Amino acid sequence: MASHLSDRTMTDLLEGEGTPEQRAHLASCAACRSRLDNARAALEAASKVDVPEPPGLYWEALRRNVRRRIAEEPERRTRWGWLAPLAAAAAVVVIVALSVGERPPTPAGVAPTLPAWSALPPVEEDDNLAVVSGFAEEEALVADWEEGRGLAAFVAALSDQESEALTMALRVEQQEGEL
Amino acid sequence: MDAPTSTPALPAVLAADEAPAETGPSPREAERAAIEACKRGEREAFDQLVVRYQREIYRLCYRYVNNHEDANDLAQEVFLRAWRAIGRFRGQSAFSTWLYRIGINACLNFRAARRPPAQELPETIPDPGVGAAERVERAEQARRLREAVGRLPEKQRATLILKIYHDLTHKEVAQVLGSTVGTVKANLFHGLGNLRKLMAEEGE
Ligand SMILES: [Zn+2]
Repeated sequence: MASHLSDRTMTDLLEGEGTPEQRAHLASCAACRSRLDNARAALEAASKVDVPEPPGLYWEALRRNVRRRIAEEPERRTRWGWLAPLAAAAAVVVIVALSVGERPPTPAGVAPTLPAWSALPPVEEDDNLAVVSGFAEEEALVADWEEGRGLAAFVAALSDQESEALTMALRVEQQEGEL
Repeated sequence: MDAPTSTPALPAVLAADEAPAETGPSPREAERAAIEACKRGEREAFDQLVVRYQREIYRLCYRYVNNHEDANDLAQEVFLRAWRAIGRFRGQSAFSTWLYRIGINACLNFRAARRPPAQELPETIPDPGVGAAERVERAEQARRLREAVGRLPEKQRATLILKIYHDLTHKEVAQVLGSTVGTVKANLFHGLGNLRKLMAEEGE
C-alpha cells in the first residue's frame, strides 16, 4: 500500500477536494480514515462554538474609545520620523541581548501553553515564530517598537538564526566599542 | 503630497476623488480612500475602518483571551497599533490581512503579558427552544472548547481561529501568518487532530 496521506492532503479531503487516487487510498486505509474522521469531528464541534455577543451598545463604545485614544496620539510623524524611536529601541535590545549573554532566547518565550503530550508540528513546518517575526517586513512590529513595550516579546520571538545573527552583530559592535 | 488638507466634518472617505458619480464608491474604494486619508493624518477617517472591522477584531481577540474585558482592551489596542502603523501600510496585502496580523501579534503579546481574569459574558444560545439546563450545558461545552483551542500550539491555534471563525482562505491565512498554503493546510489538520485529543481528554 502507498504511504499514508499527508496532513495537507487530509485538509484537502476534509474540504471535499483531493484526487481520485487519494480518495481511493482513504477508502482502503482505516488509519487514514480514522484520522480524517477525528479531524472532521473536531471541526464540527469547533465550528459550533461562537463567542458570546457583547451588548448592543458595545460597538459604539468601542469606536468612541478608539477615537478618544487616537485623538490623544501625536500628529503623524514625517516619513522617516519613526526611525528615531526604532533606533532608541535598538539600543535597548542591545542591552537586553547582552544581558541574555550566550544563550539565545528560546522560542518558547511567546506563550508556554503547550501541554506536555502535545505533538509538535513536523520539524520542517516548525517555523513557529514566523507568526511574529514575519511581521518585521510589515508595520506591526515597528508599532511595538514605538511603544517600547514589545521588546521582550520581540527578543523572545527571534528565530535561532536571527538571534545568532543579532548576537554576532552585537559582538562585533561590542568589540569595536572596546577597541 | 498635494492632497487637499482641509478636514471635512464627515469622513473624507466619501468625498474621495475617484468615486463614480452615480453609484458612489464601492466598499473597497471607500476603504482605500479611508486608508489614504488616515495616512495624511485625518483621524476621523479611521473611524470608517473601525466600523468595518471592529466585529472581526473583537471576536479574534475574544478567541485568545476568552473574556469580554480583555477582548475589549485588546481590540482597542489593535486599532491603536493599526493607526500608529497605517502610514507604512503599503497595500501589498489586503488591509484586512494586515489588520489580522496586527491582531494576532497583539494577542500573542497579550497572552504573554498577563493571565486573563475569569469573567465572561453569558453565552448566546440562539435556539429559543433550548431549555435552561441544556443551555447551561452547551455554554459549558462552548467554554471548554474555546479553552481547548487556546491550548493548541501557537500556529495551529492561529490557523484554526482564522480559518474556522473568520472564514479566511488558506492563502489569506498564509499571508497573515507569514506562512505558505501547504503549511497552513498541514497546521489546520494537525490542529484539528490535537483538538480532538483535547476534547477526548476533557471527556474522560
Ligand atoms: Zn493511509
